[in-house]
Amino acid sequence: MSSTPVIEVEHLNLTYGDFHAVRDLSFEVRRGELYALLGTNGAGKTSTLETIEGHRTPTSGTVRVFGHSPGDRRAVRPRMGVMLQESGFSPDLTVRESVGLVGRLTRRTDDVDRVLDLVDLTGRAGRRVSQLSGGEKRRLDFATAVYGTPELIFLDEPTTGLDIQSRDALWATVDRLRENGSTIVLTTHYLEEAQQRADRIGLMHQGAFHREGTVSELTRTLPAVIRFSLPASAPALPLQAVVDGDGTVVIETFGLQQDLHVLLGWAHDHAVALPDLQAGPTRLDDVFRAIKS
Amino acid sequence: MFPIAASELIQIFRNRLVLVTSFVIPVAVSAFFVRQHETFAAIGSLGYIAAIVMFTVAAFGLYATVVTTLASRRQNLFLKRLRSTAAGDAGIIAGLLLPATVLAVVQVAAILTALAAVAGEPANVVLLVVAVLTTLAMMVGLGLATAGVTNSPEHAQVTTLPVTLGVIAVASWVGITGTEDLTLLKRLLPGGAATELTVNAWNGGVAVTDSLLLLAPTLGWVVVAVALATRLFRWDPRH
Repeated sequence: MSSTPVIEVEHLNLTYGDFHAVRDLSFEVRRGELYALLGTNGAGKTSTLETIEGHRTPTSGTVRVFGHSPGDRRAVRPRMGVMLQESGFSPDLTVRESVGLVGRLTRRTDDVDRVLDLVDLTGRAGRRVSQLSGGEKRRLDFATAVYGTPELIFLDEPTTGLDIQSRDALWATVDRLRENGSTIVLTTHYLEEAQQRADRIGLMHQGAFHREGTVSELTRTLPAVIRFSLPASAPALPLQAVVDGDGTVVIETFGLQQDLHVLLGWAHDHAVALPDLQAGPTRLDDVFRAIKS
Repeated sequence: MFPIAASELIQIFRNRLVLVTSFVIPVAVSAFFVRQHETFAAIGSLGYIAAIVMFTVAAFGLYATVVTTLASRRQNLFLKRLRSTAAGDAGIIAGLLLPATVLAVVQVAAILTALAAVAGEPANVVLLVVAVLTTLAMMVGLGLATAGVTNSPEHAQVTTLPVTLGVIAVASWVGITGTEDLTLLKRLLPGGAATELTVNAWNGGVAVTDSLLLLAPTLGWVVVAVALATRLFRWDPRH
């Protein structure tokens, strides 16, 4: 297997008039990786993604997919599946016709019924797209992206509007694709999905990377947090803490295990109950919140 | 291109509004002209009837359908979806426009055949075919350009008016009054030269070489329309 990155982005800039949507962005996505492109609203995720997909032309910089320009559709598109953020299907075509048409145009081969079964739309195959629910349209979109099991799959907010069963089913399908070696590029507003599944995360803010790395690299830079309630009569705490407006005690620490040990020992020695005790590493949400501060 | 064309044909026949406004109405109007051909031949000539039915189909059928289809497929992001596949831009456009174009050719051929059957055959069939094909090409080009400034299928009802009414007016003016006065203006207006060519082909009496010169303005409009389209056409509703 070649070690050439599947996606290479070098010094990408995108401007719309006066607005600088993407600033000097460089990164690569390796074969077999699940790379999550995350960011605040208007951070430039969609602009970046659409440039890699070949829908936009860079103002400057280069983007290569499988070593080709994304605009070279004949070379690139048969190897990649795209799930757009908004569906883009004709309301007057049926589900089966839509999958068949887009599938054929990708130049990959697959069985339409197999793909419909994969996304649990077999019972809707003869329905017009206009009659589908929002979640069913997302699944139809996913079906066209995975038609023919492409090497590279773009999932732009894939689970928005899906119920929990459909969400689990979608991720189960993605897991199987990854076992077969597919590379996945994901954007999502559900940060726990990225935290659980991404090998690496590019966290965008104002058109550039605020941070890039594995989930633990991103969360490691911020302290872990211990939270609990404390009776007013309790003796002085053994650790530096902040008390919230609602009386919750918050301890931020880079030594979670040690400080938790100290706290629990202190509570035990003084027979103090710690209601609502929580302790854990920083979540991606906190990394996000820290962007603005 | 052909898978897109096949899906487009399905969509045309499933969407009753498009079917009625683009295909039933032009045929009904044309049928009226053919039935009343003696009245209209007295106003202009049989060639004038041929020109006016051709422009009725080309403007209200083909041109309006091209603009509406492209605006609608752009608005619901179907164009973007097609561009996410391995299909090229030219293939996508050709596939989307092929069914409406073929239907327009079939309609014009059927109506002119009917006219020939009731009122006598045209003097020069080959020239007539050339006139029809260049006219349809011009209208497709104008449709592509108009689609660039049309945001939605509803908006198309407004944006298509200048060209549809304009070419029908020009065809009527040239078809009824001829081109002996204001020759240059009448020939340069979109549809003017095409009307004169159609009238000549049907009525006869004009040297073919003179008629062929009339192709130049029509083809010129094709070039202008395509040049405008390449500047104005958008694939994505947001940029």
